[in-house]
Amino acid sequence: MAANLWEPWEPSPQEPWDRRRAAHLMRRAGFGGTVRQIDELVNLGFDKALAMIRESAGLEAFEAEMTPLEKSLVSRQEPQALASWWLLRMAKTPHPLLEKTTFFWHGHFATSADKVADSAAMLRQYRLLREHALGRFEPLVQGISRDPAMLIYLDSTDNRKTRPNENYARELLELFCLGAGNYSERDIKELARCFTGWEVRQNQFQFNPHQHDSGIKTIFDQSGPFGGDDAVGIVLRHPAAARHIARKLVRFFCTDDDVVDEEFQPLAELLRENDFDIGKILAVILSSRFFWSEKSLGKKVRGPVDLAIGLIRLFDLNANMNDVRGRLAGLGQLPMFPPNVKGWEGGTSWINASTFVERINLVQFLVERIPAGSAGPLSLARVTRSQDEESRRVIEDLIDVWFAQRPPTETVRELMELASQAGKTADMIKRVLPAMAAIPEFHLA
Amino acid sequence: MTNRRQFLYKTFGGACLISATSRIPEIWLQAPGLSAHENGERILVVVQLGGGNDGLNTVIPYGDDAYYRNRFTLAIGKANVLKIDDYHGWHPSLSGFARLFEQQQIAVVQGVGYPQPNRSHFESMDLWHTAHRVAENRQLGWIGRCLESDFPGGIATELPALHYGNERQPLALATRGTPVPTITSLNQFRLGVPQRRQFLEKVDADLKRPRAGEGNMLLETIRDNAVVALNTTRRLESIIDRSAGVKNYPGTPLGQKLAAVAELIDAGLPTRIYYVTHNGFDTHSNQLAAHALLLQELGDAAWAFAQDLQQRGHNERTAVFAFSEFGRRVRENASRGTDHGTAAPVFLFGGAVNAGLHGRHPSLEDLDDGDLKFSVDYRTIYATLLEDWLNVPSASILNGEFERLPVFRNAS
Repeated sequence: MAANLWEPWEPSPQEPWDRRRAAHLMRRAGFGGTVRQIDELVNLGFDKALAMIRESAGLEAFEAEMTPLEKSLVSRQEPQALASWWLLRMAKTPHPLLEKTTFFWHGHFATSADKVADSAAMLRQYRLLREHALGRFEPLVQGISRDPAMLIYLDSTDNRKTRPNENYARELLELFCLGAGNYSERDIKELARCFTGWEVRQNQFQFNPHQHDSGIKTIFDQSGPFGGDDAVGIVLRHPAAARHIARKLVRFFCTDDDVVDEEFQPLAELLRENDFDIGKILAVILSSRFFWSEKSLGKKVRGPVDLAIGLIRLFDLNANMNDVRGRLAGLGQLPMFPPNVKGWEGGTSWINASTFVERINLVQFLVERIPAGSAGPLSLARVTRSQDEESRRVIEDLIDVWFAQRPPTETVRELMELASQAGKTADMIKRVLPAMAAIPEFHLA
Repeated sequence: MTNRRQFLYKTFGGACLISATSRIPEIWLQAPGLSAHENGERILVVVQLGGGNDGLNTVIPYGDDAYYRNRFTLAIGKANVLKIDDYHGWHPSLSGFARLFEQQQIAVVQGVGYPQPNRSHFESMDLWHTAHRVAENRQLGWIGRCLESDFPGGIATELPALHYGNERQPLALATRGTPVPTITSLNQFRLGVPQRRQFLEKVDADLKRPRAGEGNMLLETIRDNAVVALNTTRRLESIIDRSAGVKNYPGTPLGQKLAAVAELIDAGLPTRIYYVTHNGFDTHSNQLAAHALLLQELGDAAWAFAQDLQQRGHNERTAVFAFSEFGRRVRENASRGTDHGTAAPVFLFGGAVNAGLHGRHPSLEDLDDGDLKFSVDYRTIYATLLEDWLNVPSASILNGEFERLPVFRNAS
């Protein structure tokens, strides 16, 4: 390999800091934004834009607004409402990177409210994921190892000395930390012994010293009277751990294409050197040449949540999240309800013969929420432009901020023609957006 | 990707045109009326009879006095059964199955069960769904396992399986990778935009255009799926615009489910496995009328489905498999019903089945604590469906080698 693609990227005349790149940053590090927000990022310049994405200004006020909702969620015990609540957070949060990364961890430590059936436990897990989302990985794994929702989901609430439950130990190695092929069945058995006495009673975690196996365990090549937290430390020191987490971060934030080991090996090393500090590594990723090259630009399929929240944020829509939730379920991605312990597969699995039509229908549903006859939710108010100029601007704005790859020229021309048949800007958008949703490029992010 | 392309190739053979710019056969874009799968891949439709179907009152051993001794109020009289031979007969409500039998299109496998029967609905259904015992890992369904991307020889088309219905998705379909979609209505394939015809014309034109950045596999996959999706919606349009049920099908839930499955098959989806359920077989009390209705719904829907597929040329490549988590006890209870039992018959119908009765009817005298003894392990049915129908290796899915039954005329 010639150069390290994880070194910082700098804008240049050939690769300028422009709307396309600012929109890429907002999509990947969050859920997209309005044309105005994207133009603001462009005007700030690359370095300041990057710093702003990591800022949490306004978060306290936002949390104060959301707290009463959380209380009503717990008292209602209606797990479906958790999904609406999270969608609302994604649409409104002033710190999208934090929410997006929390969502990443939710897919990584996939746990479904469908089985857990306890809103309070799901909410506690959500808070755990958010607390550590941009922090260090080890305390996150230690927290998840004693998280009641996770243990209920994996049928691992009972872990007796004489009958260690291997479910959690297996997933810890296979899915959460190392990936298949990096451990033996014996490692799983020994690891399970470390977690004996870790129980869930009345949906609360407790350590039962009478049920803990305090004998010597051997994991990989290390032996000792390890407990659960020791075991997590040993697992994370395995060379496969940094690779596994780096690979998942790159897959989530950069590309659905395969990435060869050599390409993300430097990132894995950085992760290890920085004690698995996720916030630091994300900063490296988001400023890297890999992230700003054609290896990442347009190389993700937009997931259902990104599709819905992206449009809601682009037009600052007031959509009823209970309606959105129903449609996302049909599209295969409902927050708090991952399909299995592996989480959402993502990539091209989002698109099939039934979901493609449903995605167009979702777009139709959302554009109907744009107030009719308004001057239009795109940045600049229409002043003296002719109908043709205005329709051209609308299409170019939408392509700049939504499309990671430009559709064919003839298609763009047809879209402009379609837009010019509508009256006001808002009506143009309503007319063209469902048609845009049928264009393959629309679904790249 | 490769698999999807292979599928397109297989479907159209060497004759299909491929445009210079697109790797999608032209035929997909231009011939919406053409059925894509006239010689397409084999399809399995699973009908789950939930609740525990009373096998003894389905395929009735009317030639056995023990049947009449044990079923003092529930027995179907000799004169009323639809005779198969001088021992077996169909329940009179199963005229649909009887007609399929006359046409040599239905096979019955008798005495299907498993060792150490469990009489809990959940345990027994989990076992049928996963083909694994309690102590084993039960996260994956027997069908789900053959859809996993890392499973050699598995089913690798796009949208390999579909669950159609409002109920929770059966565990049989659980995967670790791409989940199997649940479709609750054909409306999900309906394009909900204004001026649909014009819209589709524009989209067709766009999908045929060359793209910048050819070689972006993500984009190519999206485009391939868009083409299939829009052809499907177009083909289904006339059906889903109709507010009433599909013609020639009974208006029952199962009838309408199978009608929808037939439409999806005919619309040319690449889907190989469809799964529907027909619940309510837990007949602990006053079984006679309730069971008759359930069987009527089953038989009539099956008959309509077979007729429909025959007319549209899909009957030879479609096999329907109907099973229940267990049968019911031999002796009826004090509430004119029957309690959870063990072995029972399963059914297979379609244009390619080797029609007739397979295996022996379980003895009504030689019982296991009042229950029929099984003679055919349910996994031999799965092995047969997987190997001989779907052409999928079964040993790792079923955790072992099982013999296969001669229920298909042209085993793959």
